Amino acid sequence: MTVFHFFNCAILTFGPHAVYYSATPLSEYDTIGTSAKAAAVYLGTALVKLVCLATFLKESENDNFDPYQELLKVLINFIDVAGLYFALTQLTHRNISQNHKFQAVGLGWAFADSVLHRLAPLWVGARGLEFTWEYIFQGLEANANLVLNLSLAALGSLMWLRKNKPRTLIPIIYACAGVLATMPSITRFYSLLMVILVENIIIVWE
Amino acid sequence: MAGRRRGGIGGGVEVLDSIYSVVALVFILVACVELGDAATAVDVYRLIQYDIAGVPYGSRVAGLNHHAGASPFAPGADLSRTVVMMPVRELNLTFLREYIISNQPLGGLLLLLPKKVSNRIVGEVKSKDDGLMRNILVELEQLLIQANIPYPVYFAFEDDMINAVLADVRKSDATGQPPMATTGGYKLVVSIPEPKRVSSPTITNIQGWLPGLKGDGDTNQLPTIAVVASYDTFGAAPALSVGSDSNGSGVVALLEIARLFSRLYSNPKTRGRYNLLFGLTSGGPYNYNGTLKWLRSFDQRLRESIDYAICLNSIGSWKNQLWIHVSKPPENAYIKQVHEGLSDVANELGVTIGIKHKKINISNPRVAWEHEQFSRLRITAVTLSELSAAPELLESTGGLHDTRDSLDEAAIYRTIRLVAESLARHIYGHQGRNIQIFADNSSLAVNPSYISAWLDLLSRTPRVAPFLSKTDPIISALKKELSDHTVEVHVQHETIDGMFSFYDSTRATLNIYQVASVAFDLLLLLALGAYLILLFSFLVLTTRGLDDLINLFRRPPSRKVKAA
Repeated sequence: MTVFHFFNCAILTFGPHAVYYSATPLSEYDTIGTSAKAAAVYLGTALVKLVCLATFLKESENDNFDPYQELLKVLINFIDVAGLYFALTQLTHRNISQNHKFQAVGLGWAFADSVLHRLAPLWVGARGLEFTWEYIFQGLEANANLVLNLSLAALGSLMWLRKNKPRTLIPIIYACAGVLATMPSITRFYSLLMVILVENIIIVWE
Repeated sequence: MAGRRRGGIGGGVEVLDSIYSVVALVFILVACVELGDAATAVDVYRLIQYDIAGVPYGSRVAGLNHHAGASPFAPGADLSRTVVMMPVRELNLTFLREYIISNQPLGGLLLLLPKKVSNRIVGEVKSKDDGLMRNILVELEQLLIQANIPYPVYFAFEDDMINAVLADVRKSDATGQPPMATTGGYKLVVSIPEPKRVSSPTITNIQGWLPGLKGDGDTNQLPTIAVVASYDTFGAAPALSVGSDSNGSGVVALLEIARLFSRLYSNPKTRGRYNLLFGLTSGGPYNYNGTLKWLRSFDQRLRESIDYAICLNSIGSWKNQLWIHVSKPPENAYIKQVHEGLSDVANELGVTIGIKHKKINISNPRVAWEHEQFSRLRITAVTLSELSAAPELLESTGGLHDTRDSLDEAAIYRTIRLVAESLARHIYGHQGRNIQIFADNSSLAVNPSYISAWLDLLSRTPRVAPFLSKTDPIISALKKELSDHTVEVHVQHETIDGMFSFYDSTRATLNIYQVASVAFDLLLLLALGAYLILLFSFLVLTTRGLDDLINLFRRPPSRKVKAA
């Protein structure tokens, strides 16, 4: 029954991508080429990020929040944004409307992300006899990630593909992009803050 | 330009092909990856599997892969796909006996032994519980050894992890819930290869020879006295059969006696006019097969020169009463001499020695005592033992209950004093005189730390003969020790008599997995299917509209192609 569990988690992780492709007009316009190209760009981006992280980041001994390391991580995350820009603007796509282009790119991006980050642990771990909730959580995470990537691609297309952007929205758009890029650092900062806060509360309590 | 393009494409196709083959190889490798991801892994020891004259005994299967269950069970429950976990402390022997005798199928049996006692307080008063536990273990062992069990039986030691698993299993069994995702469904898996017959099980006899003082005019062979003990064991769990009392105590006594006499014999002035032969024999539980082969290897002159032999068997936990077992009638002159020699020293030590006579029946292959093998070759021999009755086949051969804390070192000390003094008085001709050769606080005193050290070593080493190779460390250790104390050491390798055959795989690792039931997986599949269908409908609705959704389920209306 363990291959069964693997099958379940696999359709939870990768099913939504296939469903999205077949349900929306993407399948009618045959945009699979675009998605494939976006996936390839994601692969390249991931490799570059890996190399940069390995070269520039120091291994921290303790769990403290080091602003310089976090700054470095934020800069490297911008490579992500750059990759998305490349996929959206530089690649030559067939003549498909902007609407569908960002969806196809977002889908390809999210699919490559899921495959790279979640397929190997799923294959190796979910086939064992031992039951854990871990892989179901991973699948839910993949779903959320799909939504995130689609919105990222929408944001990107808004920023770079549209020629006539409404004036007032421009700073908001760029601010959102900045926040998204620094999101991991922000979450880490806040989690550490919470830990310190809770420890202080416990000390005050006792 | 076109040709270059084609060449480029051709090269591209080759590259693609090699990529495909690499990818296929990676997939094959990845499919073979199997991680050990158990929640718990425990050392377990398998019940022995053996045949006597082709009749199978013990547990016949080694691999285990079933769900765990614990008593109490509903009456009439089908347990053929359950591994029953039973702590020995709360063992219901009648339940187990009826299960085994009525040959009811079980998925497997896991017996949990009480925690190993790591430190032993010297002189600790043994509680009644210990005695009860020992009796339970003896009965359990006899039950399991003499049954033919078609499912795997394993022993494990209780610890916190296993106790937690057991409690969990009991809780979920009690509520009658089928095992769901996180509520108590456990699977016990032991994966070891099928047990194979041990091809030629060897028994190794080690003998040490201390020659006596030959006078100048002596042309005849000096008389010899032999001290013999068998060192191997047999028990329900061969990886746990350390046999501290049967016969670790005898081995230690023999080694200490050898050490004392080697000190006496090292100086020609104190060397006696008797040769001393020390024998550590193997094959004890199997009708003293090793002793027989050892004696047969003697040449005629040596055999005739043996005055008498003392065999030591289980001398580790007696208080006041020791027994000599003989096969010649007690009125026999030689036997009387030996008995009197031992009784004199016994009286001085304040203990009594009784004598028991058991006639040998030549047609019966059962050899209950080691001296019987000597008697069958017409050598006078006695066995000194704390057991008053002859043990049956494969009884009192050192098993689960026979551990270090069942011993009383003072008893071994007394036995060594007894045997050594009576031997010395016989050798040096001081019979009847009250002379203490091995007195306390003398240079020839019996050394308690020597006894303790060797007992510790023997109590840590399982010594079931078919699983001891020719070069096993314990055999080398015994050989080296004897060669320290004697002049000539000889090792003899033989194979066990064809009547007994044994099967390997005595220890394994048990993996305990927490598993979810099939129902859970099916439920999950249903939930996922519903989720994906909902997602699909939602997406179609929002991007293409309701009409498209309905059109998906309607057959496309047939259209007549209008003729142009």
